[in-house]
Amino acid sequence: MSVLAARGLTVEARRRGGAVPVLRGINFTVEPGQVLGLVEEAGAGAAVVGRAVAQRLPPGLAMVHGSLSFLGAELMAMPADEMRGLLGREIAFLPPSPLAALHPARTVGAQLEAHLRRLGVARRELRAKAVAALAGVGVAEAVLGRLPHHLSQEQCQLVLVAMAFAGAPKLVVAEEPTAALDAAAQGRVLAAIQALRRAQGAAMLLITRDLLLAGAICDELAVMTGGDIVEIGPAASVLRAPRHPYTSSLLLATPPMRGARPDLYLLPEPAAGERALAGVAGCRFAPRCPVRAEYCLRTEPPLEGDAHRSACIRPGLVPTIVAQGEVPPPPWRPVGEVPVLALEGVGKAVTTGPAWRRETVAAVHDISLRITPGEFVAVVGEEGCGASLLARLAAGLEQPAAGRIMLAGVDVSVDAASARQQHAATVQMVFDEAQAALTPWRRVSDIVTEALAVRQSRSRVRETRARQLLAEMGMPLALGVRLPGQLGEAQRRRVALARALCGEPKLLVADGLFDGLDAPAQADLLGLLLRLRHRLDFALLLVCRDLAVARHLCERVLVMHQGAIVEDGLADTVFGWPRHEATKALLAGSPR
Amino acid sequence: MMRFLRRYLWPRWVRSGRVLLGLLSVLAVLAIAVVAPVLAPHDPLAQDLSLTLRPIELRGVYPLGTDGLGRCVLSRLMFGARAAVLVALPAALGALLLGGGLGLAAGWLGGRVERAVGWLAAAWVAFPPVVLALLLVAGGSGVAMAAMLSAWPLFCRVLRAELQAVAGRGHVAAALMLGFPRGQVLWREVVPAVLPAALALLAWVAAGAVGLEAVLAFLDLGGAPDRLSWGRMLADGWEVVFLAPINLVAPGVVLFSVMAGLALLGDGLRGTMGLALPEARLADDAMAGDGP
Amino acid sequence: MIASLGWRLLVAVPVLLLATLVLFVVLRVLPADVAAMALAPGATEAEIAAMRVVLGLDGLLPVQYVIWLGQMLSGEWGLSAQMGVPVARLVGTALPATLELAALAGVVCGVLGFSGGLLLFALRREGGQREGRAALAETGTTLMMAVPALLWALLLVLVFALGWPVAPVGGRLAPGLAWPPGTGFLLLDALAAGDLAVFGSALGHLVLPAVALGLGFAPPVMRVLGAALAEAYRAPFIDQARLRGLSGAQVLWGQALPLAAVPALAALGRQFVLLLGGVAVVEAVCGYPGLGRLLVEAVRAADLPVLQVAGLAFAVVAVLAQAVVEGVCRGLAPRVRA
Repeated sequence: MSVLAARGLTVEARRRGGAVPVLRGINFTVEPGQVLGLVEEAGAGAAVVGRAVAQRLPPGLAMVHGSLSFLGAELMAMPADEMRGLLGREIAFLPPSPLAALHPARTVGAQLEAHLRRLGVARRELRAKAVAALAGVGVAEAVLGRLPHHLSQEQCQLVLVAMAFAGAPKLVVAEEPTAALDAAAQGRVLAAIQALRRAQGAAMLLITRDLLLAGAICDELAVMTGGDIVEIGPAASVLRAPRHPYTSSLLLATPPMRGARPDLYLLPEPAAGERALAGVAGCRFAPRCPVRAEYCLRTEPPLEGDAHRSACIRPGLVPTIVAQGEVPPPPWRPVGEVPVLALEGVGKAVTTGPAWRRETVAAVHDISLRITPGEFVAVVGEEGCGASLLARLAAGLEQPAAGRIMLAGVDVSVDAASARQQHAATVQMVFDEAQAALTPWRRVSDIVTEALAVRQSRSRVRETRARQLLAEMGMPLALGVRLPGQLGEAQRRRVALARALCGEPKLLVADGLFDGLDAPAQADLLGLLLRLRHRLDFALLLVCRDLAVARHLCERVLVMHQGAIVEDGLADTVFGWPRHEATKALLAGSPR
Repeated sequence: MMRFLRRYLWPRWVRSGRVLLGLLSVLAVLAIAVVAPVLAPHDPLAQDLSLTLRPIELRGVYPLGTDGLGRCVLSRLMFGARAAVLVALPAALGALLLGGGLGLAAGWLGGRVERAVGWLAAAWVAFPPVVLALLLVAGGSGVAMAAMLSAWPLFCRVLRAELQAVAGRGHVAAALMLGFPRGQVLWREVVPAVLPAALALLAWVAAGAVGLEAVLAFLDLGGAPDRLSWGRMLADGWEVVFLAPINLVAPGVVLFSVMAGLALLGDGLRGTMGLALPEARLADDAMAGDGP
Repeated sequence: MIASLGWRLLVAVPVLLLATLVLFVVLRVLPADVAAMALAPGATEAEIAAMRVVLGLDGLLPVQYVIWLGQMLSGEWGLSAQMGVPVARLVGTALPATLELAALAGVVCGVLGFSGGLLLFALRREGGQREGRAALAETGTTLMMAVPALLWALLLVLVFALGWPVAPVGGRLAPGLAWPPGTGFLLLDALAAGDLAVFGSALGHLVLPAVALGLGFAPPVMRVLGAALAEAYRAPFIDQARLRGLSGAQVLWGQALPLAAVPALAALGRQFVLLLGGVAVVEAVCGYPGLGRLLVEAVRAADLPVLQVAGLAFAVVAVLAQAVVEGVCRGLAPRVRA
């Protein structure tokens, strides 16, 4: 009997102006011990499946028909008490944001023991069982006495994995379990999950937007778009020979880890959400499909095939979808230019702890680094390796405690006023949270030209420049009058990028610019940066979690570990022949 | 700033019922305070010892009756509004300037300034506001000054916390990086974001100051014994409560409505003007100036 | 917890020292004639001149402050200018009375605040078509906040002491009952002596002022708790707890409330300090012989010796209460913004 089976599962969102389908009668099964990956670009529909398993659909959503059964028992009609009996015991969940998923004011030990207690462990065995559970995921006993915010995201997720598998569940529902983790941690957490899962024979439903990640650990893959499963089959087969144009375009939008760097496939922007799709009569992907025919828009294709099924009437055309060309090589530079950024023995410590027990930790130490004009450099490393602090130091948002920072040959670690001017003229930075980085009450066209406001340029000048910048970013000019809150996330990142590039800085510092974007949006932004590079001629210091993105965009890679640079070289060299353990761990966790 | 007000705030908060109700009551009190001499049917101090403790006669000579000395209750209520306005307005604005200025300076400059302001505010709030006001009155301060000096730490604390929540946001760092002078960044990126909290707090503190004025007048402190104030009327009415209850009820109801109007105004402003900063828990405990 | 509490109490010492400076400036630097304030009304010019010397008013301000601080710390508080009684005795009898009242009022405030906060949250959670009800409840707390403790006290005394006399006002004990010996904390002394009649009467005299203060200062606690609970429920850890199979009640009492109680507790601490100020007024209305009434009398009579000690006593209680609450909150949840 299947562990989890969906038959015609249909979920609708009740909105003003009628119901909008979120899941449109999807079918899948998860067999015992098997891993099914549900992959979707923005993850909206796939995440709803996960919520439905626990009867916790978001407000306004309701299952209208179909069934979802766990070991033969219908989940949606189950009384709440019975459902609670299953949760935490038979069915366990892994969240996307582990730190926030633990109670912030209780020690990890207290939370783990409370869960074990609920599972019926005797009081005097609690401690021993908790230690054993932690040991099972490779976490030290000392962690038991600590509060979650003292731990890394990785440790928090491992604790949650220990909790999830403490009840020997039949099914684990993991929603983006590694979204908050760096590559090395991702590898270790997935390894821990897989080891426990295999030992206990548990099945897993993995909900993710990362096709390659899903391919690396799933037995079977289901690709979703527009509330439908459009392709489902054995993972290897789906990845190697996709039979649906959507799967194929997702794969072509993901930068590879080896070989040449092809241009990434650009999928058109999704058609404004579920409401717009409600009116489409035919294939839900047809409006964005590169190989659609006229009748695709009118008739809905059935999900057909044997083990590997796809909902496309022209699967034969899928292999014809290819991205054209290759990433152009970096522009030629004369040798011996003054480095745009030079760090010499830079160090900085951070102070933590309550007032009566201050602790000082060296966050970065003895960093020496030179970036020549026009060079694209990526910094990768594990969580807490100091890469973000390095970026802030380079941008002048933090002052170094030791060492010197030179910008285009000018020492900026001496005099504050002139240093700030030098910084403003040479370096600009874009931040990871685009929402918070844009002034919420200012129009987009005012935001992108703020660099001109410093010099108090006339509004006509600013208006012209704003139009120019928006065009350069590939954004419609009409967006200029919007407020940041009215934009999508990918567009907000472009606005932040435009603001930073308005004054034509020589160096752009970007921290987490690509984090949290799905593959098509990421491909789009990568293409944009590569085009801008040739037009504006700036250098880039990119702090990045995704190694493939780092390799695609930057010719040079720095690996940081515990506040120091441990490897520095050409991207292909560093990733092809890693020497430091930290680099090897990062590569091991990247599912490419 | 103006663009900020026009584009972002105006439409939403004006539509809020609470704001409208609050504004209406506040404007009514202001208007009555200004035109009291014209509006009042009698001289509020004139005693008519032949007609003491008259009950309500809406069409009579004394619409809301008279007090123990035969003075017109309605006229006294109208002139009492002047006392309230003359305390609340300068106290709230002064506290905003003093406390808000110190709070923003502390949060923005950091370092020594922040420590100094922190200690000063901590020492200041060692005294409960009413106790401090009593001590200031004993030391010779006026009621408005006492109300202001006991309310400024509230502005200081709340605005500093708001500023800290805003200062960590990317757009502040971005403005600094673009080369705006620090003072200009404060003005362009931070002040508009903390403005809603400051305005809401202004209304709340004004309510507190009205209450404090009433309390001091009730206790007959910090002013002439025969001053025109709702608090004084409460004290007078308390003595004749069973003979002519209107003498207690009328100032009580007026005091409550004015404070409620201000509180609703503050509430409405906070609810509708917020920039929805997720990390900023707006000062829900801000009725601190709310006297006893 | 111990560490944060200890640290916070340690910080309270310099805060109190600075507070004495504030007091000194307010009472000794600002007033026109300090010497006259320190004497009974109708003192002669010569007496005032002599008092100037006694108070050290001829010296430099910093010197004056040091001398004055020495007097305050060593307990040389002198005689009341108004009554001619040692200040120590006046404050010594009034302070326990006020502490009893404030403690009881704090408990009332806490009970009202927490139950009201839970109610607010319950109304808000029902959501949907009943959203109007939550907004109404929210507005209700706003209106409640607009009723100052003075009005509550007048109302309660009017209804429950004069109109329908169920609770006594005036004094701390019914006339005819013997005052038990001991600390001056009447409730404790009565319990220690096993005298239930005295205990009941003393509690009866506390009820009206304590409830008036509690009603006057509870609404902000309600709102902070309601908002903190709503915020906690938006956090992923609540969701994760539900996904581990915890019931709604377990999540509320075991997960959300312990966290949301921290800012509410901090708000309660701040409200307690404000409530100490409210004591001055409510004591006057209810005729309760506490520190507040002593302070009001002293302000009215410009009685400097009583003023400075009573003011300082309020400051000490307020600072200690605040330090304890903050220390506990910080210990309970180090990262929660209180």
